[in-house]
Amino acid sequence: MRAASSTFLLLIGMLVSSTAGAQGPLPQQGPVLQRVPENVILVKGAWSSASDTVTPLPEGGKVSTASYDNPYFGLTVPLPAGWIQKYEGPPPSDSGYYVLAQLRPADPSHEKARGTLLVAAQDMFFTTTHAAGPLELINYTRDHLQADYRIERPPSNVTIAGRDFVRFGYVSPVAGLHWMFFATQIRCHVVEFIFTSADTPLLENLTRNLGGLKSQPERPATEPVCIKGYVSAENILERVDPVLTENKYNQVPVRVIIDREGKVKHIHFLSAFPSQSQAIAAALSQWRFKPYLRNGQPVEVETGMLFGHVPQGAL
Amino acid sequence: MATRKSLMGSEPLPVPAGRPALVLLCSLALSSLAVPSLGLAQTDPGIRPGAINGQTGATTTSPLPVASASATTNTPQGVSEFFLNGLGRFQEVESVSGGANNGLGPRFNFNSCSGCHAQPTIGGSGLPSNPQATVLNSVGGNPPIASSSTNTIPSFITANGPTREARFPFFFNSSQTGVNTSAPNGGVEDLFTVSGRADAGKCSLAQPAFAFAQSVNDVIFRIPTPVFGAGLLENLDDSTLLANQATQANNGLGISGTFNHNGNDGTIARFGWKAQNKSLELFAGEAYNVEMGITNEIFQNERPLPGEDTPSPGNTPVGLPSNCLNLSGTGYPEDATNFAPTNPTAAGSDTFALNAQIPSDVVQFAMFMRLLAPPVPSTTVPGGAAAISEGQSLFSAIGCSVCHTPTLGKTQVSAVTAGLSGVTVNPFSDLEIHQMGNGLADNVSQGGAGGGQFRTAPLWGLGQRAFFLHDGRTSNLLTAITDHASSGSEATAVIENFEDLSTSQQQDILDFLRSL
Repeated sequence: MRAASSTFLLLIGMLVSSTAGAQGPLPQQGPVLQRVPENVILVKGAWSSASDTVTPLPEGGKVSTASYDNPYFGLTVPLPAGWIQKYEGPPPSDSGYYVLAQLRPADPSHEKARGTLLVAAQDMFFTTTHAAGPLELINYTRDHLQADYRIERPPSNVTIAGRDFVRFGYVSPVAGLHWMFFATQIRCHVVEFIFTSADTPLLENLTRNLGGLKSQPERPATEPVCIKGYVSAENILERVDPVLTENKYNQVPVRVIIDREGKVKHIHFLSAFPSQSQAIAAALSQWRFKPYLRNGQPVEVETGMLFGHVPQGAL
Repeated sequence: MATRKSLMGSEPLPVPAGRPALVLLCSLALSSLAVPSLGLAQTDPGIRPGAINGQTGATTTSPLPVASASATTNTPQGVSEFFLNGLGRFQEVESVSGGANNGLGPRFNFNSCSGCHAQPTIGGSGLPSNPQATVLNSVGGNPPIASSSTNTIPSFITANGPTREARFPFFFNSSQTGVNTSAPNGGVEDLFTVSGRADAGKCSLAQPAFAFAQSVNDVIFRIPTPVFGAGLLENLDDSTLLANQATQANNGLGISGTFNHNGNDGTIARFGWKAQNKSLELFAGEAYNVEMGITNEIFQNERPLPGEDTPSPGNTPVGLPSNCLNLSGTGYPEDATNFAPTNPTAAGSDTFALNAQIPSDVVQFAMFMRLLAPPVPSTTVPGGAAAISEGQSLFSAIGCSVCHTPTLGKTQVSAVTAGLSGVTVNPFSDLEIHQMGNGLADNVSQGGAGGGQFRTAPLWGLGQRAFFLHDGRTSNLLTAITDHASSGSEATAVIENFEDLSTSQQQDILDFLRSL
């Protein structure tokens, strides 16, 4: 048992440090490069990382010529012909917001119909909106729209490719731009497909194109059960608080997968400084939870935790 | 809607001040006659003429209105005297020793606050012509600011380029043949030394290895941030900033910023390109020490370069050499509280003017910035009222205003002056830090901000800025806009919306921004 924990801790330390970039105290020796590479962010600050490189992450989707594929969410979204991702999105925010993909026509000349598709996700463990699901989150957006936007389609439930979505549309009359949201809930996230265009026929085509979405309306039995608030006194058997030696006044949202024995199997830091992720990983390796039972059988649980600069009672 | 067009060009020249009509006519004539096959494109109208406060013909910096100051303990006359005193100190030219104002160096970027904060007037950003490019010249019979026997002008400092400070994101490797990316640096590398000046004794220092740093892509730049309206930003309570942030959640544009916090009290910091400084006094004290080499009551010690106080194998750091310390001969700090008025004759019987002479320079720099009025936008220039109005609507419509928040809220009650109390603040900034992608990243971390994060730059006064973005990489507003998009940037979706607008719509936005 002790040996296993030590190995786990060592692995976490190695992996976290290898994914988190250059920070921290000056080393006596280090890798040497002749030049600073162009267009690379090496000093990352608070960034995302994980305890292993195998478990899919929300931000781990890929854009190919034909589709956007996201193993974590179990999604495959067909792309309109000629659409590309020119720029990748930013890292997850400390409020659990993801830009998963940003797509647009490869040729955005004025002669072509122009538009964009933003695939985003909000981790509902960490949203600041108090929304519990897609409808409430979309309603929040509706309630905070700029005054000069006009709602074209009030939030409503629709079914696309066998999956439940909330659809919401509005227009900026002055810009002639239309926005169309399709929001659905997966693994305690709200995943949003947001189409923007001045060309309403294009928007209709894009909406129809979303019908080619491949997803898993029924989550696989092997997938962890996502439960908000699972990290509570009644479920924690052993707990060691991390010692964060430097207060950056940032909150550190963390998703964990707890295995059938109640041990932390996987850690995903949405936004953490390297020293924070290392300290938290070291502590979580020592936590023990009551195994979660479904139909009398222990199953894996996915839940969220906040560390760092967080409101009282956040854990 | 704006109807003005000009010839397509990737780097359009700014319109000369005061001559937009002529340029308009020329542009239309050329586009319709000379090269009819060329398309029309949006163009940065260039630096808007006129004073920062919108007063025709005015050339001086203006304070906040103080007419209604009776609600506070400070009278309008007192506020005015402190403002004017701070304004005067902001323009003082510093010597190393033996002058009217001493303490410069041993390293510095310039010798006065107003030399860098000058465009379009005192308190602004850098001038179109960079005074740093002339520091080796003798002007008006005065000796050069820096000696040409010991200093050279770095290649990134040019006569018509931006006023800059330089930083090395990483330390060089131990063999000085490249960089060590495991050793982040990020501190300011001052451009010049006082060595060789007649008033600098035997202090002998070399400039940092700028040419080598450039050769290994290990130097980044920052330009002066304008400080107009800074007192209003300082006087916004954290709750106001947080309330604005809350309205931005799930905005459908891929934007989700955060705040930089002061490491001591944990409140939201808000000054500097990465919002790393909490207050104007801290901002002033740091700049006095870092940019001019003048120690003060907040930063009491001479500042070595980052490599001069950092241990490394085979190198025991010694800091600055002793013959470069206390060059002013006054002891430390070189700027301190004056226990009596420094020039009672000039103040006469004016008690407020006498009192204003007592605080240190840093306190009065901060007071000047605190009392400095925000820019007043033009409603008609450039492009006309219709274009500006349309541009403002489009600016919000496509999502720019999610970060560049036009109205951030009202200031808290001020004990300084009613001019700071309950004022609606229109900075076009949320004061948050946002991920700006690898195209703008500088690999410098400050406080909670990483190498790719920057504070949303306030846009008030933008119309009269000469250079844009944190490093002044462009004087073309259109380039500055499109440079917001790159991998890892929160602004990409908004820029794509901008690019999907028609040419005339984009021109309206440019006109609006140049009206600020």
